[in-house]
Amino acid sequence: MRVFGGALGIYILAAAILATWLPLQISIVTVFLFAGPHNWFELRYFLLRLPARFGRSRTFFVTAFAGLGFLTVTYVSLPLLYRYVSWPNETWLVVLATWNTILLAWLVVLVRLRAQQKRTVNWSWTIPTALAIAALNWLGPEFFSLALVYVHPLIALWFLDRQIKRTRPEWLNTYRRCLCFLPVILALVIWRLSQATSLSDDNGLFWRITQHSGAQLLPQVSSHLLVSVHLFLEMLHYGVWILALPLLGPRFWDFSKKPSGFSRSAMLVVGVVVVILLWVGFAMDYATTRDIYFTIAIAHVLAEAPFLLKAL
Amino acid sequence: MKSLLLVAFLVFLGALSTQIVSADVPKPKPSEQQSKIMLRSKLEIVPDEKVWSARLQISQAQLQELRAALDGVDRNPTVAASIAQSPTRTLIAGVLLFLSVSFAGVWLARASRMPMGRKNKVVAAAILVVAVLGAAAIITRGNAGPPPGYLSWMKLSKNFSQGKATTGDFMIEVVPDQPNTPPSVKLVIPYNPKQSGDDE
Repeated sequence: MRVFGGALGIYILAAAILATWLPLQISIVTVFLFAGPHNWFELRYFLLRLPARFGRSRTFFVTAFAGLGFLTVTYVSLPLLYRYVSWPNETWLVVLATWNTILLAWLVVLVRLRAQQKRTVNWSWTIPTALAIAALNWLGPEFFSLALVYVHPLIALWFLDRQIKRTRPEWLNTYRRCLCFLPVILALVIWRLSQATSLSDDNGLFWRITQHSGAQLLPQVSSHLLVSVHLFLEMLHYGVWILALPLLGPRFWDFSKKPSGFSRSAMLVVGVVVVILLWVGFAMDYATTRDIYFTIAIAHVLAEAPFLLKAL
Repeated sequence: MKSLLLVAFLVFLGALSTQIVSADVPKPKPSEQQSKIMLRSKLEIVPDEKVWSARLQISQAQLQELRAALDGVDRNPTVAASIAQSPTRTLIAGVLLFLSVSFAGVWLARASRMPMGRKNKVVAAAILVVAVLGAAAIITRGNAGPPPGYLSWMKLSKNFSQGKATTGDFMIEVVPDQPNTPPSVKLVIPYNPKQSGDDE
């Protein structure tokens, strides 16, 4: 338990120091190395959590996968549409706000379906909350999307919490105590970098990284601070999916069992090929591959929602 | 052995990725230019029989203000300025906020029958905060009623025919250059033929 707490503390501190020290360079290296593999690890984890027969969860999973498919396809088509259609900026904001609203509606439907299966908890508060978030989204759709960029890495910590509760409940208190230090470390990073000079974004690649962290939307905030905070959260996210969950999850590396139903092994093999292709793409044209990756990566962001709901 | 190979592979990939850091990647071109409102002020249109050419008179202070606004363009747009500038989005946000508060009321009424837990209190407080923020944004950003100066400009043609001056609010808007048109200054005044006709 002490080893676990110590390792977690050291990892969090190391991530914070690296993210603060060389944000752009470390961001490039971490995305290059871990962006693809962490998706494969997520896929493996989700396939393990997916029941062999959907049974009474059929409606839940059908809604989850239909929404996942629709939202991913529409999200990926937005940059293509942007290239070929010259709409005014306001129209794009309406399109973005609409997509965000559909995402919220999908989440609410999933919560309702999950609540029907788990009658001991009352999740009716999610409707007014989602409506309030949707209202804020319509006032500033770009800020909603930026919030998604920053909140998504934290969801991994929630998955880890559920996994620890299931397989190592004696570690749960230590883990949650370590999580309490996270806001303190974030506050320290923000305090340290709040007055820092913005990062030089004359290079197209550096410009992309600062834009992804919200430098254009929050011009009053130092881009060094934004990139560092985002990178720190991303490093936690990668750490959870690549290190913590495979170590804690039973049967994670056990490929001997033949899965029933559709071929999940084939999906994992395809996943390995995609990871290798991603590395090749990064090596050949990092900037373009990064753009493509972060557009398609919305699928794994969305996929986390139903599996997290199932774990609750 | 496997771990060693994995570490070696990661080091190789890491070394490869560090090459990218120094690579010179072109920055994307800025998107199509759009017009921007730089300054809001008062405008007075004065018909004068003694002058032979049209003049645009601007005070020293306003010129400096305009220069400051031009200097700050693109570099310093406030967060508030990027929040809902469109009536459509403000309207939809208002409807959603109304629904949120309504649903929250129903939920609170139901929850009040049971002892209110800490989670419920947190959710209620969060919805209240979001509702206040949203309402503040809608009130400050929503275009309720005619814009300032609209009614003043309705009297322009009548005043003009009588040789009287007309004063109203106006905005200085910087528009992108037109490639095949020589640069010119354009004054756009709100005009309602029906109302102007009634006046005359």
